[in-house]
Amino acid sequence: MDLQPDDDQEELRGSVRAVLRQACPASLVRQVFEAEQPDEGAAVARLWAQMVELDWPALSIPEKFGGLGLGFVELALVAEELGRVVAPGPFLTTVTQFAPMVRETAPDYVAEAFLRPLAEGRLTGALAIAEPAGRWEPAAVAASARQGRSGWILEGTKSWVAGGLAADEIAVVARSRDGLGVFVVAGRDAQLRPLRVTDPTLPLAEVTLDGIAVPPERVLVEPGDPAAGESIARALEEATACMAAATNGTTRAIFDTTLQYAKDRHQYGRPIGSFQALKHRLVDMYTLLERAAALGSFAAATIAEDDPRRRLAVSMAKAAAGDCQRLMVQDGLQLHGGIGFTWENDLHMFLKRAKTGDFLFGTAAAHRANVARLVGVAA
Amino acid sequence: MRLAFEPAVEEFREELVEWLSANRPSAEEMEAEPALSSGHAPGWARRWTRRMFDAGWLVPGWPPERGGRNATPTEQLVYLEEMARAGVPRTTNPQGLGIVAPSILDYGTPEQVERYAMAVLRGEKTACLGMSEPGAGSDLASLSTRAVRDGENFVVNGQKLWTSGASHADFCFLFCRTDPDAPKHRGISVLLVDMDTPGVAVRPVPEIVNPKAAELNEVFLTDVVVPASNLVGRLNDGWAMANGSLAHERGMVWVQSVIELENATRRLLEEAPAWMAALPEPERGAAADAVAGLCVDAQAARCLGYLGFGKLLRGGSAPEQALMKMFSSETRQRLALVAAEIQGSPALSPSEDTGAVVLPLSTFDPTSWLEQYFRSFGVTISAGSSEIQRNIVAEKVLGLPR
Repeated sequence: MDLQPDDDQEELRGSVRAVLRQACPASLVRQVFEAEQPDEGAAVARLWAQMVELDWPALSIPEKFGGLGLGFVELALVAEELGRVVAPGPFLTTVTQFAPMVRETAPDYVAEAFLRPLAEGRLTGALAIAEPAGRWEPAAVAASARQGRSGWILEGTKSWVAGGLAADEIAVVARSRDGLGVFVVAGRDAQLRPLRVTDPTLPLAEVTLDGIAVPPERVLVEPGDPAAGESIARALEEATACMAAATNGTTRAIFDTTLQYAKDRHQYGRPIGSFQALKHRLVDMYTLLERAAALGSFAAATIAEDDPRRRLAVSMAKAAAGDCQRLMVQDGLQLHGGIGFTWENDLHMFLKRAKTGDFLFGTAAAHRANVARLVGVAA
Repeated sequence: MRLAFEPAVEEFREELVEWLSANRPSAEEMEAEPALSSGHAPGWARRWTRRMFDAGWLVPGWPPERGGRNATPTEQLVYLEEMARAGVPRTTNPQGLGIVAPSILDYGTPEQVERYAMAVLRGEKTACLGMSEPGAGSDLASLSTRAVRDGENFVVNGQKLWTSGASHADFCFLFCRTDPDAPKHRGISVLLVDMDTPGVAVRPVPEIVNPKAAELNEVFLTDVVVPASNLVGRLNDGWAMANGSLAHERGMVWVQSVIELENATRRLLEEAPAWMAALPEPERGAAADAVAGLCVDAQAARCLGYLGFGKLLRGGSAPEQALMKMFSSETRQRLALVAAEIQGSPALSPSEDTGAVVLPLSTFDPTSWLEQYFRSFGVTISAGSSEIQRNIVAEKVLGLPR
């Protein structure tokens, strides 16, 4: 087992990081935090245009749909780098949430209509799975789908839909008596309500379905299709692993900043990082960071190779990313002292993204519960 | 990134598995004559070491004349995994094979190599490691056991503590002070001391859960005469070896600790469902959460180990390795505690005493969960306590000022 990225993967990571350092400085993130309306900024649109220019949306789209056909490891590396700079914009929701759902659940002729323009950067997407209660497991989906005269009719409310307000297309998971299905609703046709959010760089929306009709060419998988449950679960594994990777990027940034602060800040005539009480806390932070990174790499490898352990590995990775953010937000803020408590310091933007990353696609506790089920100590 | 090994590595694995099934000591053989301490090699263990040495399976990374077959690092990793899977101890004298013999091979004279290191590798001798003292634990460099040159000999006086296997070992790799006036790191040397030398007295220090255990010892040295030819390396250059010794110890020890952790996790997953069935909610949910958290940690330990290993193979540094001892030992400790707590009152009954010692590098601990919890402190305290490990990571990896 080799969990180190290979040379090409390292090169990709390096180039993504270099681009983002220029294109997504903290000042851009701050603009989003201080904007009156989410997603209004021209700066965010410019950042997305730059990603499109560099073909990033095409990275993990199969070649048959006009993509570059790279694997999941590469996608997770990009997600991590985006998390590291708290990048705003539609990449995470479009490429790591909407696209896997389309690819995993839809037949090629349906998938192509969405993935080809997506790979070209002409289509943005979002994934609507959770509902107002904020559960992310497919079993909790209550939104309903019934067959109408010329397609499927959806009822119910989806919520916590990241990127939903600005997305061209929203993949909606709903159920009929026969099971789960996935339906694509055009953003302009959906009743959307922006939610008040902790982290405006990952804006969240509520989608009221209210009898919206979905024609057959927008049905990714019908309820009752024997493959539906498994393919939806697989897509969610990818989205969850990417959210874990993005969170790991954000927590690494928090750690790096906190570590530097502990070296620079002097009190009692010495750097505060020379005090053993702080040293040991920083080592514990670092341990959880490396633990999350190692499990994130393992999860990415199991998805890339379609290893049977992937479901367990993804829940372990999301649980570890969540455990890590919990300590990183807690001690990252505490060790910064007063300066970390201010709006002017950039730290809070990272802390809020890290927290958001834990809740979306399931908290650490929710994923530990899933691990418990998978290893046989819970029903 | 790749989950599988290269085909050549898998061939190596197959060859080993086949050899093991034909040559391994039987469970009956091992049970009939258990190792009494990590310095004790019963007859089967001596024959087993010799058999591995001759076949090049004792230390696969070394050349054939030293009991190996020039195996690659990845093959060595697979070797340790398969040995653990087979349930065969690689040695009953881990500090001899893993620390003392390699250190003598690195620093010793040809005569020392032949008389001591090769004897360990051929299963003819066992070794103990004389480092800690009553006044020198984590601060090892402050050790005060004195060796004074007297003609062709050194005369040694002092006391060692926590010396594993000393009551059975044939010789000791002894750290002692040879220059009391030098700064403390610079006045230390290493001597090879035969344990039957007059003036060497060993008193077992029974450990926390077993008053009859003879694993840990005090070693008293009173006017012990050691030939100067038994000085390992240069005079007053012993500290480099102390670091080297621990490096030998930490190099791949993580593999055993990970496998031990996985075996313990497996045992927990086998036993826990029956206990949990008797628990009312919300206790049952809390137990499931705790068990799942341990499963995450056990998998993380393996992944951290492999991630660090991958970095080393590429010639880089691997900060993960610095975390491994602390992380795996603390996880192992928490696992035993969580298991005992879920088990409930039956955890208060210790296991029956079989007289055998649970070796430090054993990959299966048959004692009760509460005993395992108490015993687990042996690992979070010895070979650099968790607190010392945190200082090391803080300063060496994170670059925090002293």
